[in-house]
Amino acid sequence: MWRQHRYKILLSLILLVCGLLLAINTGAAKHSSEFDALDILGEGTTLLVACGWLGLIISSRPAGRVTEWLYYGSLLLVFSYFLDLLDEFIRYQEQVRLMSWLESLPAPVGMLVLTYGLVGWHREQRAINRQLRGRELFLRDHQLIDPLTQLYGADYLHAVLQREIELHLSQHRTLCLLVLDIDDFAGFNRRHGIAAGDTYLSRLSELLSSQLRHSDVICRYAGDRFVAVLPNTTPGQAQIMAQHLRQQITQLVSAEEAPQLTVAGMTVQQRSAQTALQQADIAIKQAKAGNVLKWQPEL
Amino acid sequence: MSPRHFGYQDKILLLQHGCTDLLALAQRRGAELHKLLSGTGIFEQDLHKPLGRLHFSDWLTLLKNCQQQLNSPELAYLLGNALLNSRYISLCQSLHYAQNLSQALSQLYYFRHQLFPCFYVRLYRQQHCIAIEFKPALGLANQHGFMFSLLCSLILGLIKQQLGSVSGISLQLQHAESAQQQQFLGVAVSFNQAADCLCIPLSFWRQPFVDANAVQFSAKTRSCRQLNRVLCKQRALPEILCRLQRRALPQLLSQDQVAAMLGLSSSSLKRQLSQHRTHFAALLDGVRRDAARQLLQQGHYSNRQLASRLGYSDEHNFRRAFKRWTGVIPSSFKGLFNPH
Repeated sequence: MWRQHRYKILLSLILLVCGLLLAINTGAAKHSSEFDALDILGEGTTLLVACGWLGLIISSRPAGRVTEWLYYGSLLLVFSYFLDLLDEFIRYQEQVRLMSWLESLPAPVGMLVLTYGLVGWHREQRAINRQLRGRELFLRDHQLIDPLTQLYGADYLHAVLQREIELHLSQHRTLCLLVLDIDDFAGFNRRHGIAAGDTYLSRLSELLSSQLRHSDVICRYAGDRFVAVLPNTTPGQAQIMAQHLRQQITQLVSAEEAPQLTVAGMTVQQRSAQTALQQADIAIKQAKAGNVLKWQPEL
Repeated sequence: MSPRHFGYQDKILLLQHGCTDLLALAQRRGAELHKLLSGTGIFEQDLHKPLGRLHFSDWLTLLKNCQQQLNSPELAYLLGNALLNSRYISLCQSLHYAQNLSQALSQLYYFRHQLFPCFYVRLYRQQHCIAIEFKPALGLANQHGFMFSLLCSLILGLIKQQLGSVSGISLQLQHAESAQQQQFLGVAVSFNQAADCLCIPLSFWRQPFVDANAVQFSAKTRSCRQLNRVLCKQRALPEILCRLQRRALPQLLSQDQVAAMLGLSSSSLKRQLSQHRTHFAALLDGVRRDAARQLLQQGHYSNRQLASRLGYSDEHNFRRAFKRWTGVIPSSFKGLFNPH
């Protein structure tokens, strides 16, 4: 990411060097007995933290408007703190006010620019959240994302399902689950290789997450099993969605020699995520044994 | 004469035997190749050489890098399947053509230095099944769990493909509970057991394989033997040491005796063991612990008999050691297995 920002890095280095040269030109070095260790420590730490922000912005954000605001804001802060630290080592003449202006003015301006950038970041995040619908509910933890399909994994499903169960119980609404299981995925892997299996999985997860409503979330529950949580959905609606998914999948499957999927739905009446998922496992097993799309009523 | 042992720095694994598959899996999950290879002695251009080799310690570093870069619990299981069906590993191909599970597993065990030099096993018979107890043959750092999952996924994958089902097989694991194993392996798993152990019911062992083919089997076995010229049949030092000590019980071997038996100097034995991050006394203790547990599971021995069989000077010392291993005294441990 930092390669996109080569000019920015160059610019900040030039700016800091200019500040340093200016300070050396206008002032004279202090004697070492005049150094105040506590001041140096405090101002040095502030400078380091500000530099850290600058580094994080450069290394994590793609180029764009919001990045520019965040970057220039932090750069002004860094510049100001840098001069602040320098005057611990260099004494300026009383009548020259230039350095003290340069020292104190950029900081508030930088803060304002940074704040504007953060507002932009907030807006951008809202847009990204809209983009992520169907893949994410109330919780965000990037460590739980499955790296292959970019869907959340089983741990995330547990957490989200538990919360949804509690909400739905208190509000007396119905919560449904759809379980999707790939038929004979091990056999497909064996015939076509694991690489083909991986490609199939990532295409399938793209398709599934694009076909769900905004309130739903789909997770990769196991190697070849996906679970979709459908909040506030009646069994009838869930069944329609299951049929819709099945049709969509047939299009994907007919394009190549890919395995079929079994889709089973269930209404969640259990009080814990664990028992609900155990029930889901039973439901998918029964659906597989019947080998047709069936609605599994609550046992 | 004990078989040759390999040093920690010998290149005993083929890159094609798992390494390239692992790298491909990890890269498809978004890991970067140069980060995966960092800290190992593997070069990118060597990856596709048919006989390129690597150290076992490189393999362990590679696994560590994978786990640092990816949070993908399925990796070990997928790799197990990839190995099982790999076109480049004649050992795995030969397994499919074996007559039955018994032949397949003894084939895997005979040629294990080509694929899994890190485990050795003890078999013992229980009421309705044969238990295979897996022991680490060398220092595995903290990759023991990964390697064991890999091996189990390979064996269970083979059984599933050839016999159709794995129901009835159970798995006992030493470490604490984690949710994944059961999902990925499809067998009953129990945690916090005394040893890593796979229990396969007797009916599985002689059931003929679907793809059984004696001609193909011997052809593949021949190419395994040819591969033996590159990867010679040799065992890890800790494994050899444990075997020697086990055979010598109740007599206890000293470090000098073992070194003389292996044709090493005592200090170089010590140094080589420390490369495996273990030491002589710890291995000895492990051997006695396992022997005690197995004797207790098999029959009714008094503490005095056990102490003398395990080379303890008196039963107090034995009881104290047993308490240290298991946290209970021998008599209450016996109660777990022999309720009558």
